Amino acid sequence: MVNFLLHASTVALPIAIVLLALFFNYHSPAFLSLGNLINLSVQVATMMTIAIPCAILLMAGKVDLSVGSMMALTGVIAGLLFPVLGVAGTIIVTLLIGAIIGAINGALVGLLAMSPIIVTLGGLTLMRGMAQWLSPSPLFGFPEAFSYLGYGKLLGVPILTWIMLVVLASGLLFMRFQYLGRHAVAIGANERAAFLVGIRVKWTVVLLYTAVGVATALAALMTIARINSAPSGSLGVGMELQVLTAILLGGVPFTGGKGSLLRVALGVILLGMLTNGLILMNARSEAALMITGIVLILAAGLDVLRRKRV
Amino acid sequence: MTHAIEIRDLRKSFGATEVLKGISLNFTRGEVHAFLGANGAGKSTLLGCLSGAITPTEGVIRIGGKEFQALTPRLAQVLGLAIIYQHFQVFEGLTVADNIFLGHEMVSYGYVRASEQNRIAKELLKRLGVDIDPRALIDDLSVGERQLVEIARALRHEPKILILDEPTAALSSKEMKSLHNVVRQLASRENLAIVYVTHLIDEIDMIADRVSILRDGQVIWTRELSDASHDEITRAIAPNLERGEKPPAAPRTGKSLLECRGYHSDFTGPIDLELHAGEVVGIYGLLGSGRTDLLESLVGARKQRGGELFFDGRQVRNRDPQSAFSAGLALVASDRKEQSLFPDLSALENLLMPHFGGYAGGKKRQLELFHQIADRLQLQPRLPHQAGERFSGGNAQKLMMGRWLFPDLGIKVLLLDEPTQGVDVGAREDLYFLLRDFTASGGAILFSSSDPEEVVALSHRAIIVAKGRQAAMLEGDEITEEHLVDMAHKFSNLETSSQ
Repeated sequence: MVNFLLHASTVALPIAIVLLALFFNYHSPAFLSLGNLINLSVQVATMMTIAIPCAILLMAGKVDLSVGSMMALTGVIAGLLFPVLGVAGTIIVTLLIGAIIGAINGALVGLLAMSPIIVTLGGLTLMRGMAQWLSPSPLFGFPEAFSYLGYGKLLGVPILTWIMLVVLASGLLFMRFQYLGRHAVAIGANERAAFLVGIRVKWTVVLLYTAVGVATALAALMTIARINSAPSGSLGVGMELQVLTAILLGGVPFTGGKGSLLRVALGVILLGMLTNGLILMNARSEAALMITGIVLILAAGLDVLRRKRV
Repeated sequence: MTHAIEIRDLRKSFGATEVLKGISLNFTRGEVHAFLGANGAGKSTLLGCLSGAITPTEGVIRIGGKEFQALTPRLAQVLGLAIIYQHFQVFEGLTVADNIFLGHEMVSYGYVRASEQNRIAKELLKRLGVDIDPRALIDDLSVGERQLVEIARALRHEPKILILDEPTAALSSKEMKSLHNVVRQLASRENLAIVYVTHLIDEIDMIADRVSILRDGQVIWTRELSDASHDEITRAIAPNLERGEKPPAAPRTGKSLLECRGYHSDFTGPIDLELHAGEVVGIYGLLGSGRTDLLESLVGARKQRGGELFFDGRQVRNRDPQSAFSAGLALVASDRKEQSLFPDLSALENLLMPHFGGYAGGKKRQLELFHQIADRLQLQPRLPHQAGERFSGGNAQKLMMGRWLFPDLGIKVLLLDEPTQGVDVGAREDLYFLLRDFTASGGAILFSSSDPEEVVALSHRAIIVAKGRQAAMLEGDEITEEHLVDMAHKFSNLETSSQ
């Protein structure tokens, strides 16, 4: 029985996704329709975009809890910049600002050795405040060329989905072919050993936080393009916990040191499916919250079983 | 006379290796029984059997008239066995009394009776002849005082047998003397049986009634202190002292690769030494003598605090390990689990971690490199994708060392901190072979060890470090285990008494 569960834990995620899809499809046949699947991909696009670099960061044993408010801040800044800089200029500057915020997080954690949880928890509160201070009421009415990002399609697939796929592919390539990917895992596995073996631990951490910043700014742009508004009070609220949940579901331990981006992607999809499917079933949205919580705790339980075996 | 513990024909094997080969011993109340042996003699396995952490393969442990095949930690405590480990564990942030009562608090109606605990803690500490305030934070105590708190914690359970594992390894000579007094008193006044494990021959004159020597998993002999001269003890611990697979005479002709002039790290210095191509220099010192600090500073993992460092003819100051190793100077850190192994990563990743993005190249070359070096390392098993933590101590250490042994990597000097800690005898020979191979092809090695046997076996020259200072330099035939141990102690005691 234990053995079965163990094997199950390695394939648990794909099986859970398949079973869940069949379950939802049984109750509302629209679930597996092409239209709904494309719809689902758009719904998880922002979470995936942030989750990929955040997962690499967590593999290095560091966490970023500030991404939700960082989305709000960069989204609001973008909204304010459109009239001044135009579409292309705004996108570039927003991504740059994301990079700077990420680099500041990275410098505090990596160079000054401050606690990642505390630094980014502070950032979470600080940046929500900044976003609301910059724009107390929601911004809307963006240039048409920008809104197109939100609803436009390329080869029948929404642009947002394409962006998500590009982020996922770059993450996979980074982990597979870039030595920095291995260095990140090494830092999470044993930071002291990584340093003594000649890895530039501090700068790798700064770089990873910077990547999270850029991805979060990108996700903010994707979201405000889709909803055609930048509400400083609600944009990105709870995103940090959703992203963390998806990554943990994807099997990256909270202390880092290992993990697979493909599984993290499955974690994101599972989380997205739960919300999407339950809405299609006309279940109350609280049900999705409760089920997500249960699934996460179950996943942690499987992980304990697996580690006990070794 | 009845014995507090009697061990009969105790054996323990790990896999195919027999670590304890039939130990028979007895410990008597009111007596201090000193226990000596070199590293790897089986001391810690024997203690593990007594504490209940290790299950013996065969044999009987007889305590208080009852016979046991194996103990558990709980059973050991009930039977009155207490062990103070070398790396003892106190809990910072808690008071002295909290530490003593941790896990066994005195509780009534759900509340801890703090004043009662303080009173009893005070009494326990008084029995040890010290006046430590039980309400003080443990953080404010010296190492020696913390150790007494640890002993007080053991006394709380009124043990009949107290085992001390190298208790003086981290103590100053003053603290050492007061610990000796405490130990004597516990034996004579409280009638405890005391087992005192040490590797310091000088120490046993101060405390022991009887002496046992452990070597290679066997008790060589047990004698009254008066019948055991230092000479006999030394010969019993390491009989092959003069057998000496000594390295070939020091090739001082080689080019100077590493030179320290008045070099200071945080806690160590001044150090003056020169390392030539083809040479192996050993650093010997007791625990806390500053060996690790020096080696880590040389590769830039800690700051250089003064003096000059020359590498390959040029003056350098290493910023971090990365710049040291690009120049050709690499460190294999001590304490594999904490400082060098990536437990969840594969053998291949563990080996090639410093070289990804450069030397290691693509997937195919990585596998080629792995198999090439695994052959040289005699790695067992030769599986590139097995996780690092699944390798035995010796094979994991081969991986750590193998990182710097690739051809054409340009490593000229290897620094090794305790290179064979937790490594079995067979793998140790393999590692020694690799090191000699490295120097034969023009490299140089500076290593530190707390095992005098190892320093004798490998070094052309040996430096003795005591209390952070370079106390002496031995060369060629002068390097003997006796010399090393004697000098290390002489100098560490001199230092404190002159303060």
